[in-house]
Amino acid sequence: MRGDDKKDKSAGYQRVVLKNASPYHYMKVCLVLEDESTKLSAVELKQFIITGLKTLYGEVGAALNFDLLKYDEDTRTAFLRVCSRGLVKLWSSLTLLGFYQNQACAFRVLQVSPFLLALTGNSRELQLD
Amino acid sequence: MSVFMDLNLSYTTDKNRLQSVIETAAHLGFSTVAINYGFEPTAKKKQEIPTPKPINELIDQLPIVQGRSRPIRVLNRLTVVMSDSSHFRPNAAEYRSFDLLAVQPTTEKLFHSACMLLDIDIICISVTEKLPFFFKRAPVNGAVDRGVVFELCYSAAIRDSTMRRYTIANALSLMESCKGKNVILSSAAEKALELRGPYDITNLGLLFGLSDAEAKEAISSTCRSVLLHAETRKTASGIIYTTKTCSDSTCQQEAPARSELCEAPAAKRPHLAE
Repeated sequence: MRGDDKKDKSAGYQRVVLKNASPYHYMKVCLVLEDESTKLSAVELKQFIITGLKTLYGEVGAALNFDLLKYDEDTRTAFLRVCSRGLVKLWSSLTLLGFYQNQACAFRVLQVSPFLLALTGNSRELQLD
Repeated sequence: MSVFMDLNLSYTTDKNRLQSVIETAAHLGFSTVAINYGFEPTAKKKQEIPTPKPINELIDQLPIVQGRSRPIRVLNRLTVVMSDSSHFRPNAAEYRSFDLLAVQPTTEKLFHSACMLLDIDIICISVTEKLPFFFKRAPVNGAVDRGVVFELCYSAAIRDSTMRRYTIANALSLMESCKGKNVILSSAAEKALELRGPYDITNLGLLFGLSDAEAKEAISSTCRSVLLHAETRKTASGIIYTTKTCSDSTCQQEAPARSELCEAPAAKRPHLAE
């Protein structure tokens, strides 16, 4: 855009605004538990995340809209969708969750992206041979 | 961009646990960690300053940092909890074996002297109690000028919801006076599950009143300047880093090496574009 006015002054400015208004953000998270054998269903996971939101942000935080798109019970890996304005809230409540039913746990946020397609691969795990 | 560091991993005598904490830190992407030895002198009896265990005794093979194909760097650090001005002995020979030196002042007077006078690298902000004093602008600015940094630990916030309140409250009142400059965020983790990834911490920094950029600096470039500050403390005046830049085809032998001079405090060092 900046280069244009040098070449052709008569063309004038054309202002292009990219608002980057992606409505949702997608997160790939993995729940690590102290006791690996604990089973956790999708409903329980979502309930657990809502509890975390509620302890950190109260009822208003618990009202945050987010969806559990996909969940793998064996690896406890989940895909979450959250509206972009709620990303910081959801992420920080995931960070500060430390206990699941009196056992230590941690959410490992593996990937965050405004595009769901980006979560299909992870550039950090690429093996360049 | 600077690499991520976590300058506070609590030392435990349990070797396996310490190993798993270091391994987790490497897996999460921290390139440098520091093992913290706490030291709390009391008035009644004289206590020994702990001596750091050599790193190769603690862990046999340093784990590879994720995404950097390089082993993690492990440092030693001493934190002195000060409740009296005599607790910190300047020039003590025991302090020299540590890479980093931190104090945790408990009164306003000690906080002032820690900011303005003591030859230290890090001032720990207590996160487990309501702040016993108010951060005044003058000592905080003095510390920023000298290159001393303030440290906030987040693992207490994970353990307990009351501590979480205190952590956030103390963090916000610190940010009011230092405006996000010279702050580092570290874990003080005792267990591997209390560690969080660098980007999680950046996001958490937003809760503590830091901006996006400041939060990222708090775990990367500010930590680097702490390490450089620690090195200047050991030497007489300063340190110089030189890196040879191989220029094009004619690799000049006497090319002016890029140097980073830091006679001034870490905060005032001229930043050269690399």
